[in-house]
Amino acid sequence: MHLIIGGAYQGKTEYAVAALGVPREEVCVCDLSREPDLSAACISHLERFVLRCMRQGRDPLTELHRTELESKVLICEDISCGVVPVDPELRAWREATGRFLCALNREAAQVTRVFCGLPLALKGGRGAEEFSR
Amino acid sequence: MILFISGGAKNGKSMKAQYLARYLAGNGGLYYLATMHPGDDEDLARIARHRREREGWGFTTVERFRDIGALRPEPGCYLLDSVTALLSNEMFPPEGFDPGAPRRVMAGLRRFLTAAEHAVVVSDAIGSDAAVYDSYTEAYRRGLAETERDICRYADVVAEACAGNFIVYKGALPK
Repeated sequence: MHLIIGGAYQGKTEYAVAALGVPREEVCVCDLSREPDLSAACISHLERFVLRCMRQGRDPLTELHRTELESKVLICEDISCGVVPVDPELRAWREATGRFLCALNREAAQVTRVFCGLPLALKGGRGAEEFSR
Repeated sequence: MILFISGGAKNGKSMKAQYLARYLAGNGGLYYLATMHPGDDEDLARIARHRREREGWGFTTVERFRDIGALRPEPGCYLLDSVTALLSNEMFPPEGFDPGAPRRVMAGLRRFLTAAEHAVVVSDAIGSDAAVYDSYTEAYRRGLAETERDICRYADVVAEACAGNFIVYKGALPK
C-alpha cells in the first residue's frame, strides 16, 4: 500500500496520477454524505471517511480492512496542525485521523508526503524523483 | 536563482530567508519586498520588529502591496516576505472579495520572479489544520496553495522550515 499525505490543495491526487499512474477516473473521492467504494484502487480524502465513520460509531481502519489494501493507493489530508479546534467533534476528528494515519503508516510499504506539489518519501522511497523533475 | 521557503509560523523562515538573500545578492543589490499592508497596531508592531531584525543587513526596503507583476526588478536579490500577505491584499481589498486574485498574483509573481536575477520567496503552510472555514477563507486557502505550487514549478529550490531546520523538496540550499 502506498499512503499519500499532505495539507489541503498540495497536489496529493496529482502526484498519484502523474507519478504512480493511477487513472484519475478510478480515484474514489470520499464524501461525508455517502459510502465510498472501498474496492477502488485509489481512495482519496480518507479524512472525510474517518469523520463519516466517527459519526456512525464505526472504526475506519476496520472498515478499510474489509478489502485488500496491499495494492492500493490511499490519500489522506493532514489535518494535524493548527490550533486545537474549539468544536469537540473537530477535535475528536483530528485525533482520530492522526491515529488512523499512524496505523496505516505501519502497514504501508511506501509513505509519501506532498508539499506544494513536491513529494517527499517518508517511507520506502520510489516514484518521488521523476515527479519532481 | 529562485528559492522558495514555506512552513508553519515561527519556524525560522524569515531569518533563513534573510541570510540566503544576502548570500545570493553578493555584491549586487539587496532588496526587501515588503508586502504587508498594515491594518492595525499589531501589524505596525510586527513591521517594526521585522525592520529592527533587518537593521544592518543592507536591505533596501521596497513596499509593494499589490500588482507585483508590474514591478521591474533591479540586478541583485529580492527577498519577498510573504506570498500569504500579497494574496491577502489582492483577494480581500477594501472594495470587497476578489475571487480572481490567485490567478493574477500567480501570473504577477511568475513575471517578476523569473525576471529577477535572484529571489527568495517566503510563504506560510496553512493547509494542514482541522478547522472548517467559511467559503471566502477556504477560497483563500486554496488560492494560496495553488500560488505556492505554481512558484514551486519554476523555483530552483523548495524548502520547508521546521523548528529551524529545512526539509528540501527540490534543488539544494546554498551552504
